[in-house]
Amino acid sequence: MSQTDFTVEVSQNEYLPEGGDDVNAIVTVTSPDTGPAGGRSEAPAADAGGGIAEIIIIDCSGSMRSPPTKIAEARGATAAVVDVIRDGVAFAVVAGTHEAHPVYPHDGSLAVAGPTTRQQAKQAVSGLTPHGGTAIGQWLRLAYSMFSAHPASLRHAILLTDGRNEHETPEDLGAAISLCEGMFSCDCRGVGTDWEVAELRRISSALLGTVDIVPDPGGLAADFTAMMEAAMGKNVADVSLRVWTPQHATVRFVKQVAPTVEDLTARRTQSGPQAGDYPTGAWGAGESRDYHLCVRVVPAAVGQEMLAARVSLVTATPSGSDVRGQAMVRAVWTDDEALSTRINPNVAHYTGQAELAQVIQEGLEARKQGDEETATAKLGRAVALAEQSNNEDTARLLAKVVDVVDAATGTVRLKKRVDDADEMALDTRSTRTVRTRK
Amino acid sequence: MTAEGAVPGGPRTACPNCGAAVRPEDNFCEACATELAPAVVSGESPTNAAVCPYCQSEQISADGYCESCGHKVPSSRDHTEIDLGVLAGVTDRGLRHRRNEDAMALATAEPAGGPAAVAVVCDGVSSTRRPDEASLAAAQAAVQVLLARVRTGEDLIEASRDAVSAAQEAVESLGDMPGGSSPWKDPPSATFVSAVMTGEAVTLCWLGDSRAYWLGADAAAQRLTLDDSVAGEMVAAGLMSEADALALPQAHVVTGWVGADSGGAAPHVARFEPPGPGVVLLCSDGLWNYQPEAAKLAELALPLALTNPLGAASALVTFAIESGGADNVTAVLAPFPPRAQEHYDKTLPAMPAVPPDVKELPADEPD
Repeated sequence: MSQTDFTVEVSQNEYLPEGGDDVNAIVTVTSPDTGPAGGRSEAPAADAGGGIAEIIIIDCSGSMRSPPTKIAEARGATAAVVDVIRDGVAFAVVAGTHEAHPVYPHDGSLAVAGPTTRQQAKQAVSGLTPHGGTAIGQWLRLAYSMFSAHPASLRHAILLTDGRNEHETPEDLGAAISLCEGMFSCDCRGVGTDWEVAELRRISSALLGTVDIVPDPGGLAADFTAMMEAAMGKNVADVSLRVWTPQHATVRFVKQVAPTVEDLTARRTQSGPQAGDYPTGAWGAGESRDYHLCVRVVPAAVGQEMLAARVSLVTATPSGSDVRGQAMVRAVWTDDEALSTRINPNVAHYTGQAELAQVIQEGLEARKQGDEETATAKLGRAVALAEQSNNEDTARLLAKVVDVVDAATGTVRLKKRVDDADEMALDTRSTRTVRTRK
Repeated sequence: MTAEGAVPGGPRTACPNCGAAVRPEDNFCEACATELAPAVVSGESPTNAAVCPYCQSEQISADGYCESCGHKVPSSRDHTEIDLGVLAGVTDRGLRHRRNEDAMALATAEPAGGPAAVAVVCDGVSSTRRPDEASLAAAQAAVQVLLARVRTGEDLIEASRDAVSAAQEAVESLGDMPGGSSPWKDPPSATFVSAVMTGEAVTLCWLGDSRAYWLGADAAAQRLTLDDSVAGEMVAAGLMSEADALALPQAHVVTGWVGADSGGAAPHVARFEPPGPGVVLLCSDGLWNYQPEAAKLAELALPLALTNPLGAASALVTFAIESGGADNVTAVLAPFPPRAQEHYDKTLPAMPAVPPDVKELPADEPD
């Protein structure tokens, strides 16, 4: 268990000018290229301890009735995803309305996946009928109590909704999210265009999952299956990034920047007098993610060197934690301007990608508020950033919301008519980044 | 910056391994074949300070950082003094660089023809990868070749060329690490200057801009090497004066070095017959940048260097640090003619109690 098997690599310009105090680095973490990498029939890796538990949460509110294909596709997608669950994995299906009910098993426990239980689950799901309202916090709370009664160490939920969280306050939802943090991860999907991107992002972000739109209910089965296959590929649970910093230094931010932008700064839990842990959730085999770390240190004299941060990858163990990989972020003060003014290309790239996500979200918000001037400026900036960084997927999504006059300078015009689904797709996918070529 | 940190032992009369009696001129113990006067190289197995000079914490990580304030703590490589009696050297990180990328290797021998002194100074090229390891590997490899050849009385010009080849190989092999990945951009490289001194002559060999000088006791001083640098080549080609050439922005770009991308550059070899008593100085550009004139260097080093090479080498290094210490600085002094060797206990690298850059102290305080 204690093998140093994750690789942690640092990309930075360690040289600072006299008095310079911000140390930036891109930390690339890659998990070992071994383990059960998606093999359906294999048991979860020994690393997973108590194994994998999955809960599928399906919106059964009244709105799921229209169009009628919506609930039918949701049932079908749930049945398809049940088929992807590996033998031996604990699973359950929950129906969400203004309350939450276990659909399968009926008693609120988790079943062990096998031919019989899969059949029973599909049977139960086929009887789902839409009724009532939407209180997602209640759904999360039920999943929480079901997971907490189970020993699995890799706990993951899929949450599907088609509408806004109308039957509880944002505070209720917030409290439920806080309760669930660290208990399970949650991938959220919105079907149709009547749901709120910010609401689902709030959940997926806190619960270390993904968020996306499935505009056409017909796409649910494929999307669900892909999500579940990814979940089945996870083999290391509860992985954290541990950041040691010198005395009197402050961590300005820790952001995941690839594959998506996710600010982890506020997620710190103190793990030592000068160290804090930032949760990264579960990892599959051969997975690679990038983090942007910015530490403010007390400047030392020219010619001196300082360890600005020691970044470790740690996994939880019954007795504490295991360090699975480590790297150093350094600071060296120099009076050679040729060295200190050099900008690390990875830091520059991901600073741009984080700004890209931000200006898209701000631009869409301004557009919603009717502030066309701000919307045009922000989305224009987004087009320029996407162009510079070769983020083609985001550029394509942007082109459905604005008419691009000149991509290089970010000259755009807002489209008069924009499909809701296109706008929501741009919003949900704004945080997806591309990596620089090595 | 004083010589007090050096810990030379007294002359030795017994083999440190088996206790058998040895004579001062023995290279090996006749009883157990232990090498009695091995080469000493600065920066070999360096140790870190036990207490952080910046915050007084005693928690120092294995890689030399303070676990409290994060500062890199002083390493024995930052400042090393080697005194072999016959010759001595001092190397220092200086004030502006974060580590010492210079290395020096010193040795004495007692071949049939009389006492001999061997010295190598290497300066890691800062713009390349792991220059500190490059200079150390080059110095280590070269001194072994020179010492073996001088003991057996072989041709020293040939030996010097072979020493550069060995240094070249050692530095190239650094480029394979870690993981044997594709050839690096800017592979490790270092400048090189060596001197083998016998009672008759000094055999010099160099690549790059580390220099050798002759500082005669009669005040006749001269430079013995020509730099492989942009400035050096301008002067050699007769295009400009040394002063003008050194003022060029590219003046210090070296055009010869040992390393994987050296292109098999042939080292320069020269044989110098001293006209009388004096001292040979080997130094890195961290010293001569502040005083390139042989006569001025002689003023700084003589007459102390004739009898106390360590004290004079310390004085030269202190001079460079007090002049600005912009680079690592190394000075090795070998009085001519070489004295008979005495067996010293292994000379220990000296750790400065307070690094020169601790803010509370003015730069000239440690002396």
